[in-house]
Amino acid sequence: MKDTLWVFRRTMTTMLRSYKSLLLYLIGPIVGIGLSFLIYGNEQQVAFRVAVVNLDGEQAVAQDVASFLSGVERVKLSELQNAEEAREQVQTGKLDAALVLPSGFSQGMISGEGSAALELVSIDSSMAASYIRTYLDPHLESLTALGRTALETGTEFEEALAKYSSAASPVSAEVVEDRSVQRDMTNRSIGYLVLFMMFSAVNLSAFMIKEKENRTYFRLLTTPISGRTYTLSNVAANLVLLLAQIVAMLVVMKGLFHIDPGVPMWPLAIVLFLFAWVAVALSLVIVAFSRHSMTTLALQNLVIIPTCLLAGCMFPIDAMPESMQGIAKFLPQRWLLDAIDRLQQGTALTELGMHLLTLAAFALAFTLIAAYKFGHNKDTRTFI
Amino acid sequence: MNNVLQLKQLTKTYGDFAAVDQLSLSIKEGEIFGFLGANGAGKSTTIHMIASLIPITKGEIEVLGKNIVKNRRFAKSNIGIVPQEIAIYEDMTAYENVRFFAGLYGLRGALLKSRTEEALAFVGLDDKHRSFPRDFSGGMKRRLNIACAIAHRPKLIIMDEPTVGIDPQSRNYILESVKKLNAMGSTVIYTSHYMEEVEEICTRIAIIDHGKIIAEGTQAQLKSIITDQKTIGIEVRTMEGLNLEKLSGIAGVRSVEANEERREIRVSSDAEVNNLNRILKELLADGMEIRAVEERQPSLETVFLTLTGRSLRDN
Repeated sequence: MKDTLWVFRRTMTTMLRSYKSLLLYLIGPIVGIGLSFLIYGNEQQVAFRVAVVNLDGEQAVAQDVASFLSGVERVKLSELQNAEEAREQVQTGKLDAALVLPSGFSQGMISGEGSAALELVSIDSSMAASYIRTYLDPHLESLTALGRTALETGTEFEEALAKYSSAASPVSAEVVEDRSVQRDMTNRSIGYLVLFMMFSAVNLSAFMIKEKENRTYFRLLTTPISGRTYTLSNVAANLVLLLAQIVAMLVVMKGLFHIDPGVPMWPLAIVLFLFAWVAVALSLVIVAFSRHSMTTLALQNLVIIPTCLLAGCMFPIDAMPESMQGIAKFLPQRWLLDAIDRLQQGTALTELGMHLLTLAAFALAFTLIAAYKFGHNKDTRTFI
Repeated sequence: MNNVLQLKQLTKTYGDFAAVDQLSLSIKEGEIFGFLGANGAGKSTTIHMIASLIPITKGEIEVLGKNIVKNRRFAKSNIGIVPQEIAIYEDMTAYENVRFFAGLYGLRGALLKSRTEEALAFVGLDDKHRSFPRDFSGGMKRRLNIACAIAHRPKLIIMDEPTVGIDPQSRNYILESVKKLNAMGSTVIYTSHYMEEVEEICTRIAIIDHGKIIAEGTQAQLKSIITDQKTIGIEVRTMEGLNLEKLSGIAGVRSVEANEERREIRVSSDAEVNNLNRILKELLADGMEIRAVEERQPSLETVFLTLTGRSLRDN
């Protein structure tokens, strides 16, 4: 045990002295959180710039539509006098959309003809147009129905509109917090953390390869410590580093970026700690199969980046074809992300036995493969 | 004298190939033991087994009377290995390097500190203890390489080519260090491609070839093996006009070497053939001015060449 600690101390000292490694180990995941924050954090704050071109004058329906639109959340409404000017401003990006209410629009609605004459100007597939349509279409349908009803019953449209507008709605509105963005940010942040954890684990395990190249490894083996003790100390240093990464990432995510993962911290930390074992064990497999540090580097890129992409660490798994999603089930990263997803949906950690067991099985399998490979490696090179 | 190291019928095979073949050897306390062999002779494999880097196929190794397989920690604690390739950490200071390796032998606290300082002082790096090896010359790195192996005061030190690629000053320093370590009570196994180093410091020598010890003994004992050969050293004023081929063609001559630096011609010849007059006559005929002639004992190099058919430096 004393020997293990002695080598462990050296590994940690070397690691802490290398500021480049430290940047990768600790700052990397934090940059990942920043990226997620930038990508997803902006989604809830976007206000759409929309202009109304009312060519229908002081007509009540046209006024009502303009008034309705100004009350829609995330819409910054302005008025323009000219439809051409509105089109130009949409084309040049000064506006996200423009609503043109042509002359006779109100009369058309009153006569029950509907809102066909209305024109929504936007760039093709514009998010702003979809957003406005979502709110505006039901309102226009209501107005159209109101017009038809007024015609059928012989009542005045304006009177019906006034009654409709002033009627107390039986539906109460309650604004609830949108947690999807926070969850997306959490998932993406953890995705990046997974990527950095795996890279860090391999980099640290690659110390062993570098020691072989420098021949200090063989010198170590001529001292009373065994190869097993040496590997164990490296694994311990590796695990400590990954745990520090996890803690730093969770603290920064919650404390600095105020991202609520939607899961209590402890279950989240436990699942991540379990994955740390997987990452370290996989790094040992990569090192065990590498003869040179260049091979480690190649294997690192070959294994980590594609599997992280497939598992949905960098972008949502739903964006991938189903066949790819099927392959992802064979990757430990996917099981981790899925476990966190389920925790966010309210599943208790105790109900995630399958996920935890699968992660543990991955870790155990990788450990056994690495142990077997290390045990059969009799490479002493040209030490003596 | 007690045996510090004893190899009993030591064998290492790789498939059908025997890298070390039933090798038996005893090294006594206080010796500086020269271990010579060409590349592939089995020298490195033997040292790897002594260092517990590779398993033994057959036979036994005892360090201070204890079997190294059954007493691995004891054996390793009493051996210090100075590898041929410099094996130190470039990102640690000289002090940290020695301290780290000494710590692996269980030294801690004040004892670790004092032994580290002693080892650095011994190799003349005490004023460089805070420097990083990346700033060292080749010779200084070699000295640090030695310090890392001796701080725990091993009974047996194995030095493999410790003077490769360094300047004469560092080389002399290292050779003196080996003698000093020996005087302080350490037994040393020394391997080198420089026969003159072996001749200078080793008290006993073994020559290994094809995994077997083919000769073993003191320098005098080894040289006495070659009774059918004589070596003649001829000092000349200048080497200009020297015709080696002509000398090689003289009856009984086995080899001719010319040392430009010493302006010396070294002729190895059959002992029973009297050809000295003929050799001198040929040299004079070529206009060479002879200054001294000396019949010498065969050198270790000649012994090695005769026994193995190869020169040590041809490896």
